[in-house]
Amino acid sequence: MADTGKRILMAKTGLDGHWRGPTIVATALRDAGFEVIMIGMARSDEVLQAAIDEDVDLVGLNIGGHIDVALRAVELVQTECEGMPIFCGGVVPPHAKRRLEALGVEVFPPGSQLPDIVDSARRLTGIA
Amino acid sequence: MTSSTDTLTDMLARAHAGDRRALARVISAIERGERLPGIPLGDAEDAAKLCVGITGAPGAGKSTLVSALTDELLKTSPSAAVLAVDPSSPISRGALLGDRVRMHRHATRPEVFIRSMATRSHHGGLAGATQASRRLLQYCAWPLVLIETVGVGQVELDIVNTADIAVVVLNPGWGDEIQANKAGLMEIADIFVINKADRPGLESTRRDIDAVIMTRPESQRPPVIETVATEGVGMESLAQAITEVHQSLTGTGELARRRYAQLGMELSQQMSRRFSQQLERYADCPAFAAAVAQLAAGSVSIEAAIDEMLPQVVNSVSPSQDESVPSGEQ
Amino acid sequence: MQQPPDDSRDWVSASGIPLKSYYMAEDVPAAHQKVLDAAPGEAPFHRGSYPTGYRTKPWRIFQLSGFGKPEDENERIQFLLEQGETGFIMEHDRNTADHLYNVDHPEVLARREDVGLTGAVMQSVRDIDICMKDLPIGTSYGHAGGAVVQHAPFALAGYWTVAKQRGFDLSRLPGTGQSDFFLTYLGCVTKQQIPTDAGLRFNADIMEFCDEHLPRWVPVSIAGYNGADSGLNAPQELGALFANAVEYLEEIKRRGTMPIARAARACGGVSFRMSMDIFEEASKLRAARLMWTQLLSERYDVHDPKVSNLRIHCVTAGSRMTYQQPINNIVRGTLMGLAAALGGVQSLGVSGYDEALSIPSEHAHQMSVRIQQVLQEETNIAAVTDPLGGSYYVETLTAQLIERAWAFFDEIQEQGGFLAALDSGWMHQKAAENQHKEFMAQSDGTQKIIGVTDHTDDISPFEVDGFMGVDDAFDVALARLEEVKRTRHEKAAGSAMRELETVLRSDRNIMPAMMTALESEVTLGEVGDIYREAFGDWATPIQT
Ligand code: B12
Ligand SMILES: Nc1nc2c(ncn2[C@@H]2O[C@H](COP(=O)(O)OP(=O)(O)OP(=O)(O)O)[C@@H](O)[C@H]2O)c(=O)[nH]1
Ligand SMILES: [Mg+2]
Repeated sequence: MADTGKRILMAKTGLDGHWRGPTIVATALRDAGFEVIMIGMARSDEVLQAAIDEDVDLVGLNIGGHIDVALRAVELVQTECEGMPIFCGGVVPPHAKRRLEALGVEVFPPGSQLPDIVDSARRLTGIA
Repeated sequence: MTSSTDTLTDMLARAHAGDRRALARVISAIERGERLPGIPLGDAEDAAKLCVGITGAPGAGKSTLVSALTDELLKTSPSAAVLAVDPSSPISRGALLGDRVRMHRHATRPEVFIRSMATRSHHGGLAGATQASRRLLQYCAWPLVLIETVGVGQVELDIVNTADIAVVVLNPGWGDEIQANKAGLMEIADIFVINKADRPGLESTRRDIDAVIMTRPESQRPPVIETVATEGVGMESLAQAITEVHQSLTGTGELARRRYAQLGMELSQQMSRRFSQQLERYADCPAFAAAVAQLAAGSVSIEAAIDEMLPQVVNSVSPSQDESVPSGEQ
Repeated sequence: MQQPPDDSRDWVSASGIPLKSYYMAEDVPAAHQKVLDAAPGEAPFHRGSYPTGYRTKPWRIFQLSGFGKPEDENERIQFLLEQGETGFIMEHDRNTADHLYNVDHPEVLARREDVGLTGAVMQSVRDIDICMKDLPIGTSYGHAGGAVVQHAPFALAGYWTVAKQRGFDLSRLPGTGQSDFFLTYLGCVTKQQIPTDAGLRFNADIMEFCDEHLPRWVPVSIAGYNGADSGLNAPQELGALFANAVEYLEEIKRRGTMPIARAARACGGVSFRMSMDIFEEASKLRAARLMWTQLLSERYDVHDPKVSNLRIHCVTAGSRMTYQQPINNIVRGTLMGLAAALGGVQSLGVSGYDEALSIPSEHAHQMSVRIQQVLQEETNIAAVTDPLGGSYYVETLTAQLIERAWAFFDEIQEQGGFLAALDSGWMHQKAAENQHKEFMAQSDGTQKIIGVTDHTDDISPFEVDGFMGVDDAFDVALARLEEVKRTRHEKAAGSAMRELETVLRSDRNIMPAMMTALESEVTLGEVGDIYREAFGDWATPIQT
């Protein structure tokens, strides 16, 4: 498989410990040739700093709780890193999904299939 | 795409002026193999700069140690930059870069810059871009750079060609590993760290290390420091050891000698990298295909074909900067 | 489209045990033939805990519940009790409780909207008192919360302190906590946690304290559920659960403070996950009872049927509840509940149909209770104990699970024991491997999930959206925190904290000092700070 050279940040916005989702998604992205930078549970300012210093092409958020917490990270990244694509998954009930999508974030709720997530990563990093 | 030299030159200037985003982007450009406008390298004597390499087996606690050590070093140094290298998968060429998780408490400190790096099929425990990135950081006013290698075995010893000081991290209960690595890892250490000193087997590991270094003249025996990186234990002693080794290397002129030797290594590495790029391009052109056809027909020997083509490969017009943007961009 | 009959498929159980198309008497392994004659209520108990089964003792309807302010949680618990729940579970806010942070901690402040989303915020005994208002703690089986190990002593001491203040005699108080290693060190690794050896000490301390003061309390409850829903399969869940129990028993043995039989009784209330492979899951509960009897008699020479009779709580697999077409989850909840009943469960929680969207709405909670009531009252399942007993298939599966579970148990011992397998990340690796396999099976079509991988059109007229609780949990918690600190007896709180710290650094039992701390209105975050100072942070083996 071709080396994408693309870098994706994977952060958890909540303080909950669920690791299955982010781990399995990160592994699938790695297997598709992406470099995935794991930062674990991170506040919005920490997400932003990592996105900048790691010069990523895409920000991935695993959402563990209230949508406003995730939105804080989304908005901060969108203001500070113009044009940075964001995708996410985890606990995203329909109302949360709509709000994220309104901000241009791609949302993968529970049950999403990994090949679809990989396709989205390719699209969002401009390699497909 | 706009001329990447222009923007890269701009970006480098901005990075040099302290712009962190620009710095991050220039590192990416290095990783992509783009050609950087020159960074002055004549720093063999510059004792104010220091690059410490942290190496050791997978899971030895390198990242945790780097994190704790950074806290300690920041007591005297105004800033610290970390290059944390993890392996790329040889199959997918993707990577999971997890070192940063262990350095979490530095996540938003302005005086700390952390960059995760995948090896991208470079062997030797570092990424192809590590050395150049380290120089870039030091050029951009990050005089202290810590490099974490991938989890290494005996043969991945690039760190000696890259850092000023090599810290080798071992764990209690590693007698066999020490024996097995007598000829590699154990030889390159300027400092040994026995991390996870809270685990059983500390004493025997210390004895095993001693047995290896006792054969050396006393002045060449590296200090052995016990640490519990998760609790920050032993960091003062480690920082102290680093300072002492740094001073002694500087005093004896060894530091300058190492850096001089590293420059030679780097030059040859860069040349070979450049040469393989040229070769790759040449292999796509009709002349190469023709040579293969001649080989197949038995009308020429392989040696003769090489003699014939080599000058052409070397002299083939260097590609314009635009073309040197990697194919990943398309 | 109709699939043509296909014999080439590999039929296996959810955990991968190869299955025949039917079973005969000779399929039951010889060693297992010997126990077929035992009746329910007789050792080795695989056929059930009591001969009369659900005729005399229906399983307890026991739902995890809670959110918002303590009064919101109290209201939800009261509602569930009205609906027919027969025990209750108090859940503490996960952001604060699991980390022992007060709401003014920077990590919490940065996520203030999360506060109270799952579990009510309880930072001092005053909050716990509000949450327990009018709850039937003397008669009903209460779960005090404290699922995460470092939180358990605080949650328990809070519950007991309130009970004492209300004039209850602790020696007669029924209930449980959880203090579960699977959740804490495998399932949900928090940002900060005491190391596993400190956790082991806490649990042994709780066991000792209950032995002395709360004999009717179930001090710790090993929750295989949390391991299984993180990825462990059925025999792994069994093997790991008993490997965990052995760590507790060995610690008590080492201390010599409590007869081993009483220690075994103290950790003989466990929980398992009930997932969708009905027969494997029902067999798992039968296997569990037999294994416990075996373990106690062979390893600890304990034969008292009162002790070796394992009591089992089950929760239906949250991970099998789908986001898509959530009403289908009512069917899944029913089937998994049925599997638990067939296996002879003592206590059951059914996940809400909105499980993948949020914590349960009031309606989802009601449905979880209704599912159980329908099973108990309408299906005649209560009439006969161990209805699957003697089935060639189920007896064979039971025996195979036992064999595989002990093999996994042995593998864990080779890793240096349960704690070592958590510290090194070995157990996480096992869980992750299974998750990966499951995803692959979904992508290649061998595992179908209705509404997700197949049959995805949804014409449901019900809009199920996440339940978001209340908006004021954070603000009220912050105000109450300030209030406690302003109005408590500061000298008493200060000396209780110093005492707690001294005890932590000694080898004395932590619980008496924790009781004093709660009585003196020491807050959650203050206890956490003392722990962090005394124990540092667990060196987590995973990188997320
Ligand atoms: C399994 C599970 C657990 C396991 C842990 C598993 C683990 N190690 O991760 C256990 C049993 C230990 C557990 C514990 C708890 N859990 Co839980 N858990 C679940 C459950 C059932 C499944 C989650 C899961 O692992 N699914 C499999 C993975 C692969 O799916 P996923 O995470 O959804 O990821 C997929 C997509 O979302 C997406 N995705 C995810 N992340 C990302 C990131 C990016 C960038 C992208 C592109 C895509 C993406 O791709 C994945 C593949 O499809 C969910 C409910 C559910 N059905 O979703 C509750 C759930 C998440 N848990 C919940 C809760 C509350 C808890 C507990 C507090 C206890 C409790 N009350 O149940 C504790 C947590 C304690 C703590 N300290 O954190 C709540 C959270 C509620 C909320 N935030 O509003 C949920 C929603 C259940 C509920 N309805 O109450 N849990
Ligand atoms: N007990 C103990 N555990 C430690 C110590 N230092 C690190 N660890 C743990 O060891 C594991 C690996 O630590 P890392 O810092 O990720 O090790 P690493 O060498 O960077 O690993 P790779 O980068 O994957 O090669 C983690 O679980 C750490 O928490 C220590 O001093 N004592
Ligand atoms: Mg590392």
